[in-house]
Amino acid sequence: MTSNGKPKVAFFDFACCEGCQLTVVDSLQTHLDLLEAVEIVQFREAISDRGEDYQIAFIEGSCTRQADEERLRKIRAQASVVVALGACAHTACVNALKNLHPLEDVRRWVYGDQAEWYDTYEARPISAVIEVDAIIPGCPIDREEFIRVVKALLLGKKPPLPDYPVCVECKLKENVCMFHIGKFCMGPVTRAGCGAICPTYGDGCEGCRGFIPAPNENAMKDVLADAGLTVEAIMARFTMFNTYLVSARKADGEERR
Amino acid sequence: MKLMILDKSALAPMVNALRADYRVVGPQARGPQFAFDVITDPAQLRLDYNTTILPPKKVLQPQYERLLSFNRREYQVTPIIEATPTVLVGVHTCDLHAFLLLDQAFSREYPDAHYLERRRQTVIISLECLEPCDEYSFCRSMGTLTSDTGYDLHLTDLGTAYAVHVATETGRQILSRYATVREATEADVRQLNEVLSAKWPRFTYRLDFDAAELPALLGAAYDHPLWEELGERCLACGSCTNVCPTCYCFNVFDEVDMQLVAGERWRCWDSCQLDEFARVAGGENFRKARSARQRHRFMRKGKYLYEKFGELGCVGCGRCIRACVAKISILEGFNAIHQSA
Repeated sequence: MTSNGKPKVAFFDFACCEGCQLTVVDSLQTHLDLLEAVEIVQFREAISDRGEDYQIAFIEGSCTRQADEERLRKIRAQASVVVALGACAHTACVNALKNLHPLEDVRRWVYGDQAEWYDTYEARPISAVIEVDAIIPGCPIDREEFIRVVKALLLGKKPPLPDYPVCVECKLKENVCMFHIGKFCMGPVTRAGCGAICPTYGDGCEGCRGFIPAPNENAMKDVLADAGLTVEAIMARFTMFNTYLVSARKADGEERR
Repeated sequence: MKLMILDKSALAPMVNALRADYRVVGPQARGPQFAFDVITDPAQLRLDYNTTILPPKKVLQPQYERLLSFNRREYQVTPIIEATPTVLVGVHTCDLHAFLLLDQAFSREYPDAHYLERRRQTVIISLECLEPCDEYSFCRSMGTLTSDTGYDLHLTDLGTAYAVHVATETGRQILSRYATVREATEADVRQLNEVLSAKWPRFTYRLDFDAAELPALLGAAYDHPLWEELGERCLACGSCTNVCPTCYCFNVFDEVDMQLVAGERWRCWDSCQLDEFARVAGGENFRKARSARQRHRFMRKGKYLYEKFGELGCVGCGRCIRACVAKISILEGFNAIHQSA
């Protein structure tokens, strides 16, 4: 705590586009009272200070290199609360698409003849390296959800995280179901909390918020196949944002067998 | 009560006149489908709609609703009752029957001030169905293809005019203050009777048995293999219950301000189909399997609510079948149980 009793907050980024931090900056425009409730000591995208005495760490980005692990552990050692900010930190997001290919090839596609200069390994969520206390899913995050999580942390409550699918919020908004107008949607297996923003604007859910805790993967595949998708197209939808989760679920299933 | 005739050309002026004193809610186009919404222009009102994505239940029990405001510093709690004088136009008879069930759910044991005040301030103008909504409606089997109660005014389409059955004093006043109508002639009554008797054969999608058998049939089906099969297919997305006109379960949560001092208590629709619905303190979840949750839904609709309220919980509107991307059909489920009994 600072002398004024406000918790000190820091923001960090790993492999990501920094869009979630941009959403945080944006949310400050409509929630100026947020700055009265906390003191931001480190936030590369918004301030030049680099305070190291933070209690709450918001981490955006995936862990994609061995060297990232040490930096993550350092943050974990300092912060009493670690929040995964956005899909890259939460699920490894699109960064994990590279895990579907040999890493040698991936490096060469990106860095060409300088591939050897850059270290890389399979992209993973930060929870694969350190313990995470709260998650704000999404690509990018939903600003209202960010505010709700901050309030919960300030109240000392477990931050709310919807465990039901996007369909719930979509139905409550009375959207026309994407499957009724010939579109494809990952809403039935994707974690809600975004207000079903994509279907609301006429696009099927891409699954950026990760799966619900117990997705019925087989039934979802049947639904997509019935709607006319090929097996390859179905897998593409499952892996676009959720390669890491799909692999983890598969490994888990194989272990059980 | 009396039968009046409202010329179709008199409908728009009536809606406009009502709008001066009431919020008018009726079916409107939403993309290729329909939804009940506030009418701001009589041209939006689509009494030729088939069905709506959500039932008109949302007018009486909104998806999200504030219950009270609180202040932690002053230990102050203030109830919030959000109700607006409303005329709800174009309610089909299946949804009318659902209202009668909701009325019981929200008035027995723990009368719900929020629901009951909205109900008190809502005038209902219902609409006789002459064609099935689509291939999923089985209202005829559920005894909801007509209703002689639950409305203030009831419209039947006679081509160029509506026959208006005036059921309540409120309905009579609405007509006399806001509409230009005439009394029905003998010819009108004859035409109405013809229209009403001609409609029944058009409703062909139905139960293979008498709906009155449902409670006993389900009572013997607790261990039926159907539940496992449905559990395999169900995505636990909650769409079937969210579109159901008789589902009334809700969750309650608080929203606080950034100073963590004042806030509001809200409720929103909840669904027994969701993974965590039946999780209780201590972490136990007594309906963890999707199969158990689907069984619970079927039991609620065909048995439990009947035992509680004397009315079946399913009105046959077909919305849950239409909404299910996994193509689970409560009608086919009921029929399957009947066939194997």
